[in-house]
Amino acid sequence: MKTAVKPPGSDTARPTDGARPAHRLPFWVNQQLGLLVLIVVLAAVFGTLRPAFFNERLVLFPLLRDVSTLTVVALAQMVVLSIGHMNLAVGRMAAFGAFFAGFGYDRLGLPLVLGLVLCLVAGAAVGALTGWIIARTGVNSFVVTLAMDFALLGLVPLLYSACTENAAFTTRPAGLAELRSSSLADICLGPVCGSPAVPQVAQFTVLALAGLAFLYYRTRTGRELLLTGANPAAAELSGIPTGRRVVLAHALSGTLAALAGFMAAVGTGTFRASIGDDFMLPSFLGAVLGGTLLTGGAVSVVGALLGTTLVGVIRKGLDLLGVGLESLNIYLGCVLLLALSADRVRTVVSYRKVVRST
Amino acid sequence: MTTLRNQGAAALPALRRFSRSTTMTLLCVVVAGYVGLGIASSGSFLEGPSVRTFLQYLATPVLIGLAQMVALCVGQLNLAVGALGGFSACLMGVLMADHGVPAGPAIVIGVAAATLIGLLTGIFIVATQINGFIVTLGTMTILLGAQYRLSGTRTIDGYSDTLRDLGRSAPLNIPLVFLTALATAALLAAFMYRTVAGRRLLAAGGNPVAARLSGISTDRQIVLAHTVSGLLVGIAAAVATASLPGVNRSVGGDWLLPSFAAPIIGGVALTGGSVAVLGTVLAAFVMRLIDSARAQFSLDPSWVNFLIGVVVLGTVVGGRIHQTRIERKITAPGGTSSAQPRGAARPAAALPSTKGAR
Repeated sequence: MKTAVKPPGSDTARPTDGARPAHRLPFWVNQQLGLLVLIVVLAAVFGTLRPAFFNERLVLFPLLRDVSTLTVVALAQMVVLSIGHMNLAVGRMAAFGAFFAGFGYDRLGLPLVLGLVLCLVAGAAVGALTGWIIARTGVNSFVVTLAMDFALLGLVPLLYSACTENAAFTTRPAGLAELRSSSLADICLGPVCGSPAVPQVAQFTVLALAGLAFLYYRTRTGRELLLTGANPAAAELSGIPTGRRVVLAHALSGTLAALAGFMAAVGTGTFRASIGDDFMLPSFLGAVLGGTLLTGGAVSVVGALLGTTLVGVIRKGLDLLGVGLESLNIYLGCVLLLALSADRVRTVVSYRKVVRST
Repeated sequence: MTTLRNQGAAALPALRRFSRSTTMTLLCVVVAGYVGLGIASSGSFLEGPSVRTFLQYLATPVLIGLAQMVALCVGQLNLAVGALGGFSACLMGVLMADHGVPAGPAIVIGVAAATLIGLLTGIFIVATQINGFIVTLGTMTILLGAQYRLSGTRTIDGYSDTLRDLGRSAPLNIPLVFLTALATAALLAAFMYRTVAGRRLLAAGGNPVAARLSGISTDRQIVLAHTVSGLLVGIAAAVATASLPGVNRSVGGDWLLPSFAAPIIGGVALTGGSVAVLGTVLAAFVMRLIDSARAQFSLDPSWVNFLIGVVVLGTVVGGRIHQTRIERKITAPGGTSSAQPRGAARPAAALPSTKGAR
């Protein structure tokens, strides 16, 4: 299964265990392992039922491109969940970032990389502003990001209609089309070429995954973020500048959301206001299925990838099986509820075992 | 805004004055905005037909705001408001148009279905102990799929004329649907402020531990809150079905954000334990005024969302600044009452001792 075994997965599998709750749970409770098994089994089932599922160019390539984008969205949500906050404005921050990328290409004539930088800076700025409001006023992050969502929902179309005639930037800088359609097959090391199933935009996802894994499992700042989420009062008392950590987490979330917006825009080829409209649900699905706690204090970077992949595989598989778009959401919702209840049952059962044995 | 602790508590006149002023401010804003719009439109906004359209489209926002408020008052979030409303509206439409069910029974079935789904959501949350946010996210996905399956891509408009006449009828230029919404709000206010069940809901939301110790089952209150929330969404769906020209899969798509905005502007705390029926109704008024002003000055529709976002942000930030100033005022003269403001910041930290467990 190519979808599951991504390079960063193996890098970070070991340190992930460190972020588990204090009581030692048996290995079969490991959520990541369960997800991986589920993905492999489902892919095998879909592959046997519809051999077209393993068609590298027509099925796996678009599937992996979607998964790459949505994983970054899930990571954007995960970063704020790690401090016990929420970001309801993920999709809108993505649209906001994508606007600046499009603006840079269309109006300023920037090259590909500089436009991406501008997009990320815009995302970081709007995220930092959100974080600053939350840290300064102490108002619930849900309310602030909801209001931010409203404001950007209005602002982004206004910006587009002020800067363009037809509410979209269509100028494509050199390299954008290649980025959109090229896969690892276009990169050859001598006679060995990569798989045509892995899209090139996945490089951003790999970078984001590796960067976040390093931040959370190897650096002091990452630990402080987690501690801020687990117990803000204790974190404050032990000398962690919690306000600054809140701003940092939201700025990171905005940056990642903007990156996801850029990737989505690359996927469709135009920079429009509707980018990120459907980001909110996948952002929570990926992060929560992956084992990130809503209450803060525990993250799973690989889990976000696995959770998003699982949703992507189910979506694509059901689509190939001929399940209509209308029923797809019903199944997805049921899977989410079932997966979480099963997880709950597993945790409770194993916890009881641990308690009984001690 | 009522919190349990200020029930006749003369010790906190400052908090009470503040809580009163939230509603008062909203009332002033509504009156000033209304008069201002009337002057700006040189009187035509105050005439019969304009008043009628204004109130006609106010019924649904009021009802969904109240539905969200009931969930918020026990500290829960209901993300499924829009999807549930859209699903019940489509259910009513399909029953009437395709199965020939008369309008009365169809409305009853639709409202009952919404109530039942709310009940099941509550039971699921209590049984699995999964965060209500995630559970309603799941039910939202399922209901969106169900709504799409019911209606498909068509618009269902072949339903009874009597219902439509009822939805359009407006004695004295006050639409019947608006009166329905007002009556529902009045009943809800009576339930919340005057009945034991309503006070229990607030107690469970304000301080779950204290509520449990005084013999109130918090689980039952969560189930009750979701059921009432479902019932209110069902009524909102009935109102939408009656007043819209037809129902399709886009009904309810834009309900979620306004449903949060109304209670938050109205002064309901997200942590639970407080309700503001009048505040929520007035907040819906304010949002409708923004929409009317937009139409009056023929601005881009995106301005509405932008302004609502700014208003929500302004409300929460302003409220917080106001509260800190009150806290400082209380702490400044004497150190004796220094414990009070902490509790005032979080609504309903204490319970009336009359409801003892034994």
